Amino acid sequence: MRAAALIARKDLSQRIRDKSAILLGVVAPLGLALIFSGIIPDTSGSSFDVQVGVVNNDGGVVAAGFVNDVLPAVEADDILTVTSYADEDAALADVDSGTLSAVYIFAPGFSDSIQSGAGGSVRLVGNVDQSTSAQIAKAVLDGYLAEIDAVGIAVGSSAVSGATDLAAITALATQETAAVVLTDIAADNRELDATTFFSAGMAVFFLFFTVQFGVSSLLEERFHGTLPRLLGAPINRWSILGGKAITSFVLGLVSMVVLAVATTFMIGAEWGNPIGVAILMVCGVLSALGIMAVVAVVSKTAEQAANWQSIVAVALGLLGGTFFPLSQGPRLLALFSKLTPHAWFLQGLGDLSAGSDLTAIITPALALIAFFAVTVGAATIFGKEVLAP
Amino acid sequence: MKSLVITSTNIKRMLRDPSTIFFVFIFPMMLILVLGAAFGGGFTPKIGVIAEGGGDYAQSFVDEVAEDEDFETITYSAVDVLIKDVERGVLQMGVILPAAYDEMLRTGGTAAVEFVGRLDQSVVQYRASIEAVAANQSAVFRAARLVEAQGLADFGEAVTTARVVASGSTGTEVIVETTGESLFGEDLGQFDLGAPQQLILFVFLTSLAGSAALIQTRRLGVSRRMVSTPTSIGQILLGETGGRFAIAMIQGLFIMIGAAVAFEVRWGNLFGAAALLIMIALVGAGAGMLMGALFDNDEQAGSMGVFVGLGLAALGGCMVPMEIFPDTMVKIAHLTPHAWGLDGFSELIRQGGTFTSILPELAVLAGFAVALLSVGTWRLRAKLTH
Repeated sequence: MRAAALIARKDLSQRIRDKSAILLGVVAPLGLALIFSGIIPDTSGSSFDVQVGVVNNDGGVVAAGFVNDVLPAVEADDILTVTSYADEDAALADVDSGTLSAVYIFAPGFSDSIQSGAGGSVRLVGNVDQSTSAQIAKAVLDGYLAEIDAVGIAVGSSAVSGATDLAAITALATQETAAVVLTDIAADNRELDATTFFSAGMAVFFLFFTVQFGVSSLLEERFHGTLPRLLGAPINRWSILGGKAITSFVLGLVSMVVLAVATTFMIGAEWGNPIGVAILMVCGVLSALGIMAVVAVVSKTAEQAANWQSIVAVALGLLGGTFFPLSQGPRLLALFSKLTPHAWFLQGLGDLSAGSDLTAIITPALALIAFFAVTVGAATIFGKEVLAP
Repeated sequence: MKSLVITSTNIKRMLRDPSTIFFVFIFPMMLILVLGAAFGGGFTPKIGVIAEGGGDYAQSFVDEVAEDEDFETITYSAVDVLIKDVERGVLQMGVILPAAYDEMLRTGGTAAVEFVGRLDQSVVQYRASIEAVAANQSAVFRAARLVEAQGLADFGEAVTTARVVASGSTGTEVIVETTGESLFGEDLGQFDLGAPQQLILFVFLTSLAGSAALIQTRRLGVSRRMVSTPTSIGQILLGETGGRFAIAMIQGLFIMIGAAVAFEVRWGNLFGAAALLIMIALVGAGAGMLMGALFDNDEQAGSMGVFVGLGLAALGGCMVPMEIFPDTMVKIAHLTPHAWGLDGFSELIRQGGTFTSILPELAVLAGFAVALLSVGTWRLRAKLTH
């Protein structure tokens, strides 16, 4: 144990002296997190404002019901912000320029046509870049028109089934209550805001580069001829491995902690419950250490190890959604994402952000430990050769 | 002639390294594919649906939700999993039909469909779409109940009749049109936005990280030996610059042609695109030379190259499109060559620009190239002669 600590101490002071560990472990992730927090407008937490216009050229009761009753109600619920236009061209010009997301246009005679049973149509003109907003505007109108149509369907169905007194049926139909209603379940927010996402994403992405310094130095020792000397010394072989692992672990954990503290104070990242974050960090560092150790022991030279480690680190980081939230992409990609420790680490942080409930991170922490167990097992099997005298 | 030998040696060195092959050729194409597949088609909100009861009426509700092409519908079986996925942003919303949905409707009750959404999100607004579905479904059962109440038919028959009437009725309709000029261009292909971003990002990244090769050449004493031969410093510098430039061009051409063939990316006017690529490769070569001259440790230069390469790319709009940057960040972005290169490509690809319409961008890139190449060769000359 003393030998392992000694090896780790020597390696760590060497790494601090050549600065590359500080560069990859702190400077690079912090710099990128700062850049990302600057270029991404933070939109989470605010529902976007949908500006719609309405042009009522109809003057009948059906259009009036929508304009005077439905629209004020949805406006009160903050779903839409409505502006009334007298002039169709002015409204269309505002949609064209993007000031309005969409405009409802009721043509003259719309209500009369509906009431006579001939049906009718409403124009909804949306801005080409605001399709989501236009879709919301359409849904609001659809809901109202479904209500209007309901009476027609009831009367029509009765007529088809043989009813004769259609006026009485119309009266009955308007009094029917809804058969299907919508109730709400409010869900928490388990998503990281943009600043925290990029801070955590960059931290875990570069973690895989930082931990490689320790595990790969075994190959360097062999290259420089110091490994046989260590093996010849009266110390346990596992102490040598342990020393290298401690180096990686300390480098990785220190860089994560520094980044968490720095991003919290510099750009207001919210990592969440410190105990939960600490658990996730330790598990995350272990999983990275294990994966990098496997790559190191199957490589022949330090250079080859470094090459393959960067490939593995970059590929896993991308797939794990550290740069782009792939979990929100297509389902298949989201599933593949789970094959990386990065995705579990970020999911753990996200779950933690919903509250300080530590049980939320059990699954992510276990998943990270599983990566560690499997990879360390593989590393010890393949690693015998590296330590052969 | 001697410079050509140095150049070709540089290329051979690069092609021999498996990790370079991955980062230079495979990885950029992977990124274009993955990002195009994940985000290129625009954002489609996802709805998770649970209809445990499995009745016909419930199915009709689910079908109507699924019919809406503005959403992607995914079937779930467990309520807690669905809610958690909404909370994690995997789903934008969820719809849960009660197990007794059909039963409730048949017996004259009110079926309450549960809508799962996050209060902090625009999901409140998507809710209107589901509400419209509920209203449409409700209309059919209301009609059926009325028919049944009059003793004209039993409930099941009445529902069938009401559905026929509903689908064939001259009801109201909404005619949807769009107007305005699209931010990203209307006929933008799925991979068209990402390909120029990755092209510029990787040409610079490779050039910067490639500075490590320049340092190795010095550290291993190859440069000293070259200087001792009857080869002028000018020829050596030209050869090394040529090597950086050639590698950037090989990678750039590979990405351009590869993306055009594999993902049908249109790069716009051929001369314009070629001129942009050459300029970007020259700027990259200059930046690589400068890094190679400034650093003496190839490992440091390599990691610094990755950091500077990624940082400039993020700042220059190669990771997140500049269109969504805050205004001041757009100005800062234009301190990087990346932003000018992207502007050039967007002019060619989206506006159908030609060589002459991208002259301003080409001129700025040429300025970057001249500045970096002259400072880079000047510093490197100083390192080689001392």
